[in-house]
Amino acid sequence: MCVTTLARMTAFARNQWYVAAYGREIGRELLGRTILDEPIAFYRAESDDTVIALADRCVHRRYPLTAGRLDGDTVVCGYHGFTYDTGGACVFVPGQKRVPRTARVRSYPVVEQDSLVWVWIGDPALADPGAVPRAPWLADPGWTTVGGMEPIDSDYGLLVDNLLDLSHETYLHSGYIGTPEVAETPITTEVDEGAGVVRVSRHMDDAECPPFYARSTGIEGRITRWQDIEYHAPCLYLLHSRIAPVGVVPEPDGSDPDAFHVEITYAITPSTDRHVYDFWAVSRDFAQDDEEVSAFLHDLNRTVVLQDVGALNLLQQALDTEREGYQELSINIDTGGLAARRILARLAAEGERAAAVVASP
Amino acid sequence: MSGAPTAEVYRIDWLPGTDVLHGVCHCGAERTAEDPVELWEWMLGHPNGHRPGGNRPGTEHDPADHRPADHRPADRRPVGHRKETAS
Repeated sequence: MCVTTLARMTAFARNQWYVAAYGREIGRELLGRTILDEPIAFYRAESDDTVIALADRCVHRRYPLTAGRLDGDTVVCGYHGFTYDTGGACVFVPGQKRVPRTARVRSYPVVEQDSLVWVWIGDPALADPGAVPRAPWLADPGWTTVGGMEPIDSDYGLLVDNLLDLSHETYLHSGYIGTPEVAETPITTEVDEGAGVVRVSRHMDDAECPPFYARSTGIEGRITRWQDIEYHAPCLYLLHSRIAPVGVVPEPDGSDPDAFHVEITYAITPSTDRHVYDFWAVSRDFAQDDEEVSAFLHDLNRTVVLQDVGALNLLQQALDTEREGYQELSINIDTGGLAARRILARLAAEGERAAAVVASP
Repeated sequence: MSGAPTAEVYRIDWLPGTDVLHGVCHCGAERTAEDPVELWEWMLGHPNGHRPGGNRPGTEHDPADHRPADHRPADRRPVGHRKETAS
């Protein structure tokens, strides 16, 4: 066990892709989201349905563009009518023919994939759409997905810590998804440093079945429960959950017809130093057409997420009253969270260095 | 943004029935500890104190292996580590 001194805030990692919204959230109304302290306006172009992301501040007097309106593919500022095209160039100013050359707002690279809208925060020249991590079940007709988003008033690092250590399920989410075996079962942690991925596995051979799985799968009695986390830093968190009656394991050929599979996806998108968007989705490969199961999983998982929201809001308030240089204690359950913190620190440092290179002559 | 899997994989197993953590570096060096902070510091200090081919579990850092010029975590790249693994 080791006592360590904490920083006040988890540094933001720039030059990275972040989930800004579900695709279904963005249409012909302007949607505002602040990501890594950058206010951004999102909408769909009328001409080709693509998602457009522009800085949410008019170049004229910094009025939020999200308070304006769409006119075809353009955005019209609600204050004085400055009008911007999909690339952020100003194409109209009131009362004069000449549009100043510098009249433009920043546009952001966007990728819409697996039902998620990703935005690149950093140098647009470095944005590689092929590097957006995948969560294919979110848009796969073979899976049924429920989901939502809850904002949390905390440092995003607290949410990373929360999700990388699921032993908290036993205590914070008891009666929903937590059972004694989660906290009792040792974990295996892997870090793929080059890929920026942390994996944490907890395989419970003989565990109580929590209501989340008992009611959705219909399993009565004890279960084999596997939790395999893949955290693609900084934003995408995947929990591959396998549930089966005790003793039921995958076939030698790798198929797994007698188990229930749930893919739990989170996107952790820092908004400000004390605000994070917690996107969550639960995808299942069973009872796909059962609307009762969908409603149950949605409501129960949202309850669980709101338990995390309450806990992290409270934790942040407590941390904000601590004196500078406060300390914490880490034990075995924190092995994955510690690895994630270090990768985030490295990504943040790399983003800073890249920004310095761009800024230098 | 995460990339394709690389050869630079660090692993820590919490040994069942104990409080002991067992770390294995991608270079084959191993170590046990009861403190995840200490174990990550040793592991990610690669190649400092690591012996390609496998340290004995619980062995201490070897001053003879101390190569401060190579020990710059922020500058590590998978390519360089593949070279370490192959050596």
